[in-house]
Amino acid sequence: MVVSVNQLEKHYGVNRALGGVSLDVEPGTLFGLLGQNGAGKTTLIKILLGLVAPTAGEAFLLGQPVGTFSARREVGYLPEDHRLPEYHTSRSLLDLYGALQGLPRRDRSRRAAELLDLLGLAGREKLRIRGYSKGMKQRLGLAQALLHRPRVLFLDEPTDGVDPVGRKEIRDLLLEERRRGVTIFINSHLLGEVEQLCDRVAILRKGRLIVTGTVPELTRQKASWIVRFDRDPPASFHVPGTSLEAVDDSGTLRLVIDSIVTPAGPDGALDGFVVAAGAAGLRLRHLERERATLEDLYLRIAGEGGPT
Amino acid sequence: MSSQPEPAAPHGAPPARPTLPRTFAAMLRDTWREFLDAKVLYLLLLAIALLFGTALTGRIEPQPAGRQYLDIAARTLAADLEGVDLASETLGDVAGRFNGAIYAITTAEPLTSDLPDGRWKATLTRTFVPVVGVAEPSEELASRFGRIADGELWRVEEITETGSGWAREIGSQTWEMTVAPGRDLRLLWPHRFSLFRDGVELAGTKGAPLGLEVLILQKLLTTGLGGTILLLVSVAVTAAFVPNMVRKGTLELLLVRPIPRWQLLLFKYVGALLLVAGLLGLLILATWLITGILAGIWTPGVLLALPSLLLFFGLLLSVSVLTGVITRSVISAMLVTVAYWAVLFIAGQMNNVAVESRIREANVGKMRPVSIADSLRGKQPRREEPLKPGRKPFYQTAVGRTAEAIYSLLPHTEDLDNLVDRQLMRDYAVAGPFRALMESGEFSWRRGIVLTLLHTATFLAIACTIFARRDP
Repeated sequence: MVVSVNQLEKHYGVNRALGGVSLDVEPGTLFGLLGQNGAGKTTLIKILLGLVAPTAGEAFLLGQPVGTFSARREVGYLPEDHRLPEYHTSRSLLDLYGALQGLPRRDRSRRAAELLDLLGLAGREKLRIRGYSKGMKQRLGLAQALLHRPRVLFLDEPTDGVDPVGRKEIRDLLLEERRRGVTIFINSHLLGEVEQLCDRVAILRKGRLIVTGTVPELTRQKASWIVRFDRDPPASFHVPGTSLEAVDDSGTLRLVIDSIVTPAGPDGALDGFVVAAGAAGLRLRHLERERATLEDLYLRIAGEGGPT
Repeated sequence: MSSQPEPAAPHGAPPARPTLPRTFAAMLRDTWREFLDAKVLYLLLLAIALLFGTALTGRIEPQPAGRQYLDIAARTLAADLEGVDLASETLGDVAGRFNGAIYAITTAEPLTSDLPDGRWKATLTRTFVPVVGVAEPSEELASRFGRIADGELWRVEEITETGSGWAREIGSQTWEMTVAPGRDLRLLWPHRFSLFRDGVELAGTKGAPLGLEVLILQKLLTTGLGGTILLLVSVAVTAAFVPNMVRKGTLELLLVRPIPRWQLLLFKYVGALLLVAGLLGLLILATWLITGILAGIWTPGVLLALPSLLLFFGLLLSVSVLTGVITRSVISAMLVTVAYWAVLFIAGQMNNVAVESRIREANVGKMRPVSIADSLRGKQPRREEPLKPGRKPFYQTAVGRTAEAIYSLLPHTEDLDNLVDRQLMRDYAVAGPFRALMESGEFSWRRGIVLTLLHTATFLAIACTIFARRDP
């Protein structure tokens, strides 16, 4: 396991930031950590990085207790709302962090050039960070996290402030890193992105881990379909055990199957619906199973009990 | 994906280890960048260059004073002042050394010029009471002429007694002498000091002793105004270093590195200290060059100002670092540091007054010492007066006691300053009240250094402990 967390707790005075979280993450996973602000995501990451000491429980990173220097040598981190020292240029900043990470000078300079090029910052190395846009700072933040070729990456809102093209580039970069075997943790509020990118997802609420699993596991199919016929069905058209509702004005309908009252189950009910439609002279033009998005799930789980 | 195989290290090579020199060099470069970014460095360099440029428009020129200084040398022959320390002897002590004769220069002609490097031909007469006194041999006179206290004004090169035998019988001796400048003559010789090619006179038209001018100039530019301004600017610039480093979003990026936290803080401190050391070094070097070029005096005493000012700044910076770690605020770091400086200064000055009052009390009825430079300008020594009845000396008042108590808790930085002053006074033959105060044993530069280092280390240790333990 790259990360192994057992009954982790963190209290700030009377505030409980984490209340007994257990989690195991295998190597090469792109792991999405979701939750409202204050749900404990950042605290969990900071404990894993050894920045914050847990109140109780244990946490291991790459098989070692968190916070050891040898563990930290293999970890890259992009904090949320990071503020890169503005008196640096991208080149000098990467040189500083590379040196603190222990990279020899030649490696630092080669790796910095490579990353700045990869992240679209080439040609701006001599510019002070003060003059950077939010997106440029974000790219540079990502570059410093990748600088020393870490085995584990913790990225807090990695595409924050980046334009759509840049986001796509960053997603590709992360997928490439995962392909190399890097384990990546992502905290993000962009659920679509997490759904698209992550292998596994965990949702935290009020310091507790509510659910964890792969994206397909979490977004189980619902018993509803999107349907379109060649014409609007007559008002009298009705198949027992199902109901139809209009989605928009263009004739798109949602077919909801009440599986409880259908002895043949959802699939049998669908078959019955298609046959009945044919008999009524309706020609099917579009039929697509509706999925729950991660957002649906997230809103249901994280939203429970209101904002934390 | 639940059962991916454990991959080899993703990028092959084993992770590098940060070494202490590499970490230090990186933090030093970081500090250097931050300092440069404040732009103030350029202003400081410009100011030092301007100072240097202005000083080089200056001129220090000797004024005619040979006859006057020969007269002084003759007059002081009346007393045996060999080895006298004017700082510690009373007039009563000095009076006991009079040998009952009167000496006077009757004629004096410069052999080359009336300048501090010129030789003179002079006639000296000695008048004594025949029954009481005896004739003085030429060799003895030659060895005594021109020596005042621990200084040497003139050196006798040739001496011939020219007076007749009968004149000697009735108490009159005459010599023809050739005298050359002694070791300290140049430092005591009055010099005009003007800036901008005679545009601004700084020492009056009669001039002041060269040593005094050099001392004042060196002190003004280093431990005085010049150094104070430089340190003040340095405090303002460096106050931002730690708060900038520990602010949210920046700190995490540093703490996540595989190095101990104390190294980050300590190396930042040392980096800032080295930078300011460089600036102080430049200022002090410029001062040394200025006085060297203008006055031709290259004694290295002023270079002592570098360790003295640097120790002091190291202390201020440790306060700034500690405040920065605790409050994370630039303004607080700056204000607390300047306030601490003010406390040190005021307590130091009040302690000086208390010590002075103690010395005065101990010396009531004795003569107050006068510096050689002052006595050459005709200043008469004064007797130490007792305090008016009912008045307590300062060191016995509540304020005085409090001042001394507070000072005893502080790191005695005043002593560091005094170390430089004392060296400069020695170098430039300026003695007197200050010297008496400083050599009285109340001041100890060793104690000053040890206490300053101890306070600095304590502040830094507290800062590092807090920094290492606190959650970001």
